Amino acid sequence: MSIIAIIDDDPDILDASSLVLTSKGYKVITATNPDDGYKIVKENTPDLIILDVMMNEPDDGFFLAQKFRREKIDTPIIMYTSVSKSFGMDYGVNEMVPVDEFVEKPISPEQLIEKVEKLLQAKVGR
Amino acid sequence: MQNNRKPKVLIVDDEKALRAGTKRLLASEGYEVDTAENGAEGIKLGTSCDYDIALIDLKMPDIDGIQVLQKIIKAFPNTVCIIATGYASYETAIEAAKIGAFSYIPKPFSPEEIFQKLKEAFYKRQILLEAEKLKKERGERLLEVAFEKTRLNTIINSITDGLLVVNKEGQAVLYNPSALKYLQLDNIKIEEYILDKLHPEITGLINKILSTQKFEHKSYSTQIDLNREHQIFVEATSSPVPLPNGSLAGVVVVIKDITGLKKLEILKSQFVSMVSHELKAPIAAVYGYLKLFSDESIVITKEQEKNYILRSQGRLDSLLKMVNDLLDISRMEMKKVNREIKALKILPIINSVIELFQNELKGKEIFLKLNSSENIPFIYADNDEITRVITNLISNAIKYNRPGGTININLDSTASYLSIEITDTGIGMKQQEKEKLFQEFFRAKNEMTRDINGTGLGLSIVKRIIDFYAGKIEVESEFGKGTSFKINLPLRSGMFKTEKEGQIVLNEI
Repeated sequence: MSIIAIIDDDPDILDASSLVLTSKGYKVITATNPDDGYKIVKENTPDLIILDVMMNEPDDGFFLAQKFRREKIDTPIIMYTSVSKSFGMDYGVNEMVPVDEFVEKPISPEQLIEKVEKLLQAKVGR
Repeated sequence: MQNNRKPKVLIVDDEKALRAGTKRLLASEGYEVDTAENGAEGIKLGTSCDYDIALIDLKMPDIDGIQVLQKIIKAFPNTVCIIATGYASYETAIEAAKIGAFSYIPKPFSPEEIFQKLKEAFYKRQILLEAEKLKKERGERLLEVAFEKTRLNTIINSITDGLLVVNKEGQAVLYNPSALKYLQLDNIKIEEYILDKLHPEITGLINKILSTQKFEHKSYSTQIDLNREHQIFVEATSSPVPLPNGSLAGVVVVIKDITGLKKLEILKSQFVSMVSHELKAPIAAVYGYLKLFSDESIVITKEQEKNYILRSQGRLDSLLKMVNDLLDISRMEMKKVNREIKALKILPIINSVIELFQNELKGKEIFLKLNSSENIPFIYADNDEITRVITNLISNAIKYNRPGGTININLDSTASYLSIEITDTGIGMKQQEKEKLFQEFFRAKNEMTRDINGTGLGLSIVKRIIDFYAGKIEVESEFGKGTSFKINLPLRSGMFKTEKEGQIVLNEI
């Protein structure tokens, strides 16, 4: 049973995403801000992390992803994006975005599940 | 030429009879005549007054006529001198001409002879005067041109926009100090080839015109990020300069600092991005729930469904409110708010707002207490705006309160201002949240606010309104204990005169 952590500040997005994933048989843990998100990942070592790029501040999610990678947490990350393509994302172009997939809001459950399954399979494969 | 004027003549002769006779003769024709009986007196008169004509006897006992003539011409070069001599000869004529005499007349002379000579001399005199006048005018015009040039230079040097003119060969012809600043050059040498020293984009603008080698009414401009670090943006425009014959003389480049505009543009697009993000969030939430309902593989209970429908409605309500708030803010920004400033009583406004929130207050079992000191003066403001301020603040005090909490509203006044204090026993704010409170779209996000809907625009609108009335809004808050907003509004202002409630004193657009 794979564990998926969802970190997003919008409770409605959390609920809907959780429901989509639990109905596929995954165990879901959630957090509404980067600090709590960091905590649940450290404590539960999920198999996959879903991270909203913009929480309290633009790029909060990006910085959290960087923090995970710096600490050698190489859990696959899916990043939820909204309009961050056009602003925020202050990091340099050369800087690697340390995530594996992007899903743009509003979230299509089919797309989400497809990406989740793909990443979890790849994880098993390596 | 002034032909009606009669000449002024000086007669220098030691022969009394000739002097007197000539004077009489000339005076009878309206000439103005002075006489001198010897050379010394002749010099004295001839050098103190600019005579039209001097008639000088060549042979005089003291000083001879040649010397007299020389002295007079030296003082007044335009005095036309005629030498009168009893020994008229070809030689005399040559000698007289050599020393600067206009002509000579042999003595004795008939009235016809002397008048003929004077007529010729006066004609000469008028030509000399005219020539002098033209010369003087030309000198003045030159001076004017020189002055014009300096003035133009001063003007060009005073312009804050940079100005650079290059000729067809790409050499600098003219520039002003501002150009040095924007071109980031320490100096420019006139007539030096400059195209290789300029920002490549500016060189490009110049070459666009130079490459055609003919004059066309066509300008090119571009915006350049001069200095990434200090954020200086300029707009450079190149235009062709024509020669009088219509061919191309060179190029004039004007460089304008557009940093302020550019920063505004950046702020604007950031705002648009932020608005898009804020509008997209509720759409994404509702979209997510709708997808749940339509996906048969996802099992949800009736209770969950009801909850999600309610929350979707909440998100849509706040989306609608956000759009309306945005329209309000845009109207405020465009200064298109139609204010009807009149004398208002604040207490009835507060009471009517409280009335509107009765359901919410009951639903959350919040106890609201309103304290007002007596004789609160009128304020002069727009009724809708003040209602908006009170509504937003009471709405927040309810939304961020805990069930069973209280709200205290205190109304007070001093001689110069009215104060409204709205205190709740709600969840309060953290320090870093307090700092961003009045920013557009900022909403305190923490474990206690997750189920509270809002646009993040309410307090920003409150602040804009209070600012318009030169008021002040302060906030005190303790996380977990509650928040207190205090508004001070100035009571009297020179422009408002009436004391009667409801009377319109100022219409502002």
